[in-house]
Amino acid sequence: MNNIFKSVLKAAVAIPLAVGLTVGAAQAEKIRIALAETPSDELAAFFVALDRAKANGLDYEWTAFSDEELAIQSVLSGQMDIGFGTPYAAMQRSRAPLRIIFQLSKLKFFPVTTSKYSSLKDMDGEPILLHSRGGGTDSIANVIEERIGIKFGDRSYVSGSSNRVAALLGGRADATIIDLSNKNKLMRSEAGAEFNVLEMFDVEASDEALFGNLDWIKNNEKDVAIFVNALVSTWQDMHKDPSIIRRETSPDGPIGQLPAEILAELDGFYSDAVAGGLYDPNGGGRKAANADMEWYSAAGQLDGTPDTLNIEDFWYLAPLDAAMKQ
Amino acid sequence: MIKRANLLKIVSAVVLCSAWEIAGRIPVSYAFPTFLDSMRSFFEMIGNGMMLEAYKETLQPLVIGVLISAFLGIGLGLWIGLNNFFDWLFSPIFIVMQAAPLAALIPLLVLAYGIGLTSKVMVVCIMAMPVIVLNTSGAVRNTPESFKEMGKSFLASRASILLRIIIPAASPVIFAGLRLGVSAGFIGAILAELKITPTGVGDIITYSRSIADYPSMYAAIFSIILLAVLFLNLIEKLETVLFKGNQRGYVSD
Repeated sequence: MNNIFKSVLKAAVAIPLAVGLTVGAAQAEKIRIALAETPSDELAAFFVALDRAKANGLDYEWTAFSDEELAIQSVLSGQMDIGFGTPYAAMQRSRAPLRIIFQLSKLKFFPVTTSKYSSLKDMDGEPILLHSRGGGTDSIANVIEERIGIKFGDRSYVSGSSNRVAALLGGRADATIIDLSNKNKLMRSEAGAEFNVLEMFDVEASDEALFGNLDWIKNNEKDVAIFVNALVSTWQDMHKDPSIIRRETSPDGPIGQLPAEILAELDGFYSDAVAGGLYDPNGGGRKAANADMEWYSAAGQLDGTPDTLNIEDFWYLAPLDAAMKQ
Repeated sequence: MIKRANLLKIVSAVVLCSAWEIAGRIPVSYAFPTFLDSMRSFFEMIGNGMMLEAYKETLQPLVIGVLISAFLGIGLGLWIGLNNFFDWLFSPIFIVMQAAPLAALIPLLVLAYGIGLTSKVMVVCIMAMPVIVLNTSGAVRNTPESFKEMGKSFLASRASILLRIIIPAASPVIFAGLRLGVSAGFIGAILAELKITPTGVGDIITYSRSIADYPSMYAAIFSIILLAVLFLNLIEKLETVLFKGNQRGYVSD
């Protein structure tokens, strides 16, 4: 009896260990990318860059997580190599050696309201619908309060810009903050006349950025360089001609598999995005890092003031600098 | 002199907390805080009233859902156990409910009941009720026939057979179901707050995670586990008061 128990115990320990080791060894060559959402039109440019990197010899695999926090956790624990998001709070508080290497998109969001309000000043004491507590739109609301000198009323939370547009259209909210593509869709639709886009200051801070563990980045300099070069070349080409994203999207890739209606809108999405300044053709770098220090400290995600924060603690600029010299 | 059972409880709690502390100090992950850090956040949140505010929100769906599940669940369970027709009619519903991947069905619940309290109570009920109903009906059906025969031969009425023979005989299994159901209800309440709209304890968990305040996140999780354990002990006390003679010791405490 005792022997059976012992052998079962041995097998219980040995099998997962052996499987773990073989899987680990098989994956050592590929870089593992943690996406914060399932592939959508917003990720088309990223996948074009990945295809270009693959052509230059980068082997990768990606996993889509259901939210940004899980993507951050997976990089923190070392199960993934490169993640997607803006993990400033995690970098500062968990003492994890995470560094950002590339700014994918800026925090371009727009306060949209019914015709009840015509400027941000009118929003003093009024309720607003945001994405999630502590999230990007919440930080935008905090900074608006600080810069305009108002105080929003009740904040309620519905995740996803398109869901918040639905709430606006359904009359369940009078004011919200939504992303560029949803703002354009809403304002160009027939219902657009009933809504106002309130004028807001320009934001250079990052919405999505690529980050990894510093030790991993330094140990895999060659792969990281190929990846960052591909991103910079894609972002710059996109700025010259946004339609390259649709043309270069591989029909067999995760974006190419999306419904035809979404693919047909890729050109419109990327020309709007480039015109609206959603992407920095230079990958952000020091400018984005400084803007992020200012933004995320004002938003309460980072402790300290921008002048006491050191961008080297959050960004690893070497791969981007090297790519920009080429 | 501490009783042996209580001593064992204390020892197992100490072992668990020490393992947590050691795992946090290694650390197993940058996102895993030590036990002491989590306890510091726990008492801070109690001190500044955050925990109280959160539980005011969380306890609403939890208490309503658990009460509905307990009373309706035991009632339905008795009915199903006593009557073959209702067994045929209702059992499949609860078996389906128990097996359903609830997290994936939450969008459907939101569609039907909105994002307010109703949806959250529904989540708690769907988690808690099936195990209570199925355990109760099974226990009632398995009352030894000889007990009921004895009741009949003493000319007991149907009501007294139910109240004095069937329910006491079934009570250990009913209470086992109740304990399982209530712990599932606690899981449901937090699941609802994480998946529907972040309020109460679910809000502390998501918010502290998004600002990387991991000690607070684990403190909130710890608090709900602590509450569940206390509540389960309370149910066990209730059982010993209502049905003396059932004290055989349970794993739950």
